[in-house]
Amino acid sequence: MNYTFQFNIILAHWPELVQGALLSLGLALAGFWIGAPFALVLAAVRTSGPAWLKRIAGAYVTFLTNTPVLIHIYFLFFGLPELGIRLDKYWTVIAALVMATSAYGCEIMRGGFLSVRRSEIEAAETLGFSRAQVILYVVVPHIVKTIYPALANYFIVLTLSTSMAMIIGVEELLGTAYNIASENYRHLEAFIVAAGFYIIITFVASLSLALIGRWAFRVKAKIF
Amino acid sequence: MEEIISEIPAFFSLTNVRFLVESMGITLALTFFGCGLGFLFAFFIVYARQTPGHWALPLRAAAIFYVEIFRRIPFLVTIYLVLFGLAVIVKNGSLFAIALIAICIYATAYTADIIRGGFESVPRQQIEAAHAMNFGRWRTLIHVVLPQSWPVILPPAMVFMVAFVKDTALVSQLGVFELTFRGKELANQGFSAVLVYTTVALLYFAMSYPLTRFGQWLEKRLATPRSQKPQRKLR
Repeated sequence: MNYTFQFNIILAHWPELVQGALLSLGLALAGFWIGAPFALVLAAVRTSGPAWLKRIAGAYVTFLTNTPVLIHIYFLFFGLPELGIRLDKYWTVIAALVMATSAYGCEIMRGGFLSVRRSEIEAAETLGFSRAQVILYVVVPHIVKTIYPALANYFIVLTLSTSMAMIIGVEELLGTAYNIASENYRHLEAFIVAAGFYIIITFVASLSLALIGRWAFRVKAKIF
Repeated sequence: MEEIISEIPAFFSLTNVRFLVESMGITLALTFFGCGLGFLFAFFIVYARQTPGHWALPLRAAAIFYVEIFRRIPFLVTIYLVLFGLAVIVKNGSLFAIALIAICIYATAYTADIIRGGFESVPRQQIEAAHAMNFGRWRTLIHVVLPQSWPVILPPAMVFMVAFVKDTALVSQLGVFELTFRGKELANQGFSAVLVYTTVALLYFAMSYPLTRFGQWLEKRLATPRSQKPQRKLR
């Protein structure tokens, strides 16, 4: 039990850690914003598409939500080169996060879609809106408020899952901490510091998301 | 592509299949025992969080702190913290035990909120009535709160556990012989990564999908609080 913590050694590397934290946030943002349109399209298809397309979208979402993201990363990183597609490690992670966002986001948005009253959609159709217009001008403004808390929560989960990028050697927050630790063998301290950084970035993210939600969509989300 | 297909007979040899099935068992065992223990601890965390009185303030704060902190740390970091934290106390602990502890810590933090939500769904008057009848806190919990909050707690807890089957993949970083680790081993043996990871993904699906359906069934079966309208329409 005689372990003396030496946080100074790790904290001396703070510029790298901050850079790593920014990369983590960047990966999460990229995954979220590239994935969100896919999720929207998938959710639209699953609620009001032709039957065969519904089934394909459903199978895609079910498969992705029932398999680990880590396996997707491995498949994209080690499997795709065999098929002649080579992604570098950053794009691998972003692609995996986009896939995850498209599937989980679809589930969240579908819940919102189903909450829109049928009569409103019919009213829009009577006014001659096309299907895309109905979704963009009637459904989306409606569901933004209902799905915002769930999406904000999902973004936090996504930020935490960027830590998996470390496994294929991306130097985001956890990867940086791991590299620092392997220089000076202060693993425990390095991971405690990394944990602290994760708490800070997710806390800042939740706080700003809650404020944005309040200001832009009048969502009364709890900040804690 | 043809190379990959030509590998299939060698890949699905008896030893490899046994290998994979065994590791599926370990994945499931980690999920069930880890989440089961976590669920149990979460009860005590919630119990601590709801302790009344000024003297219990540190206890309440500690319970809230625990849940808030571990929900904001990636599972992978939790795993490493347990690995290196335990190394300080016990040398050469078993990797399975380390994985189990990490899962337990994580599951406790996540299920605590589910359980708290369930407890708070019980009408306040019921608890007051129990107090009036001189029930202690523990007896109130066991005889009044728990029987009524089960249907609220169980479905989301089940959803969490099913989702956790996938999250156990991260434990492969420790070197526990679960499904992802075995997949990595097979890929290192020279089998095509496409073949290996597709198979592993399908095996995860085979574990997770039936449990998901079971969870949905359970939700339909249990989640009909009194406030909801009856399912069958009256004609």
